[in-house]
Amino acid sequence: MKWNNVFCLICIFLCATPLINRTFADEKVFEKADALFASGNYFEASIEYERVLFLSESSKIRTIANLQKVQALKQLGEFGKARNDLQRSFHFRGDDSLRFEVLYQYAFCLYMDNRSDEAYATLLQLKHAFGHLPLQRYFLLRAMVLADLQQWEDLRTHLESWITMYLDDDAFLQSTFERYDNILSDFEKVLSIDKQRARLRSTFVPGLGQIYAGEVGWGLLNGFSQLASLAAFGVMAYNGYYIASFFAGLGPWQSFYFGGINHAGELAAINKNSRLDELQTAMSVFLLAVDAYLADS
Amino acid sequence: MKLSFAVVLIVMTGFAQAREADENYTLRKEIDFILHLIAREDFDAGLHLLDRLDKVDGALKDSVNYLSGWVMYRQKNLEMSALKLLKVREESPVFYKSRFFGAYNLAHVGRHQHAQNTLTQIPVTPDSMHEAMQRFQLSGVALLQNDFDTFHKHASLFDGRFHVMAQQEHNMLMHRQRFEATRTPSPFLAGMLSAAVPGLGRVYAGKSSEGIISFLYLAAMGLTTYDFYRGGGAGSPIFIISASVTGIFYAGNIYGSAVAARRVNQEFRHEMEQRILFDMHIPLRNAFN
Repeated sequence: MKWNNVFCLICIFLCATPLINRTFADEKVFEKADALFASGNYFEASIEYERVLFLSESSKIRTIANLQKVQALKQLGEFGKARNDLQRSFHFRGDDSLRFEVLYQYAFCLYMDNRSDEAYATLLQLKHAFGHLPLQRYFLLRAMVLADLQQWEDLRTHLESWITMYLDDDAFLQSTFERYDNILSDFEKVLSIDKQRARLRSTFVPGLGQIYAGEVGWGLLNGFSQLASLAAFGVMAYNGYYIASFFAGLGPWQSFYFGGINHAGELAAINKNSRLDELQTAMSVFLLAVDAYLADS
Repeated sequence: MKLSFAVVLIVMTGFAQAREADENYTLRKEIDFILHLIAREDFDAGLHLLDRLDKVDGALKDSVNYLSGWVMYRQKNLEMSALKLLKVREESPVFYKSRFFGAYNLAHVGRHQHAQNTLTQIPVTPDSMHEAMQRFQLSGVALLQNDFDTFHKHASLFDGRFHVMAQQEHNMLMHRQRFEATRTPSPFLAGMLSAAVPGLGRVYAGKSSEGIISFLYLAAMGLTTYDFYRGGGAGSPIFIISASVTGIFYAGNIYGSAVAARRVNQEFRHEMEQRILFDMHIPLRNAFN
């Protein structure tokens, strides 16, 4: 789970309750659950919202209760459960703002549940079905999802359409692109790291794969170990210890050689993933700043 | 005066009955909601609400205990599930289900003696399905305890009369046969064999590939040590170092072979326990669900 991103997102998404139109009668139904939610007792609140859903015969109230329950579950970090609960409201055929909210929250929970592919597909449906509604939250979530999917070109195009939709300011657009390109160039090297290339380098030059993966220390250690075991083989063979040179010299060498190749591949994969996480966090912070700027202006 | 007193008494009784009826209605609605939560597999919420009903008594208390036990059983919290299920009283329609599942849960968590006592205390009518189930479950617990005499005492009465457990009765007899037929390797003998020929103890324990690898490793180390001895003699430091390392590996291999034999025994025991518990479980699901 991308907890760095989550931390940033909590401020934006989780603390904000959706703007759902409720009548005075609706408010009475939700009184107890809302009080529990307001007091921070999210688990009890989720039960009370479920009770409203269970007892009510109005499909609108049931959908609102479901959405409110999802808010409580989000506070508890139970995005998978929230996602499952939201599926119950897919059949709702009431007003568009509620249907938009259901689909939006569903996409959001998918994203938080590490299912960005599905979140992207849901966002496409959202845009298609509710393109006439204000979509600011949609733009931010879609940007986050694209960053998670590492679709950098699409994200650039999306940024352009997002900014031009809300702001007619070429200077801001250019500076945003500049910052975006800077973030990507900072991590350009890590994006090009490839597990197979690391393995190939270590196959021909011992230790080079580890150095390519960014771990110079491991590369030197592996190279030195292979040299030392080969030297031991040579010294023992030169002194007439032929059997010992085979088992105590060549034996360790083959372990270091093949182990080094595998190790280089693993290091490349681990380092790439951890740096990608840093990139995605940097990108999330950047996207949230863009969103905040657009909201202010 | 007497008349007005009687009227007041009737009105008060009426209010009390109405309040009681109202409370019962509220409780029934609450149970309906809890059942809804359980059906949605929202077990934590269901249990939370059931805990709140802990103060109720009578038939409702049985329902609360049964539901709590059942939810915990679904959550695989078997120890607590047994505790709740065994609180269900005999008057309850779910008494037998609760008792048998409670005993099964105890057997599953390794409390075999407690499971046996619970099963023995279930009041059953002769020639009934409950009696056959009690006998079958007791035979399973006896197998889990390695108590083959008790197993035979119960298993000799298996008659396949009840379809819900006929196949499992047969399976239970097969498990007993497998216990008899399977040779469990001795850790001591495995160690001795590996002392004679490195790796042979592991082959004896059924881990042939591990045995061959151990042999090859130790052979290579032995040959290396011999090479140092041949070149430098018994007093050369390189020979002493090599011989010490080989000796450590040799001793380690003996210990490893004993551990391998013990591990094989544990794996067999674990596999058999899972099979027995599985076969104890199926008739319960067939009979009570």
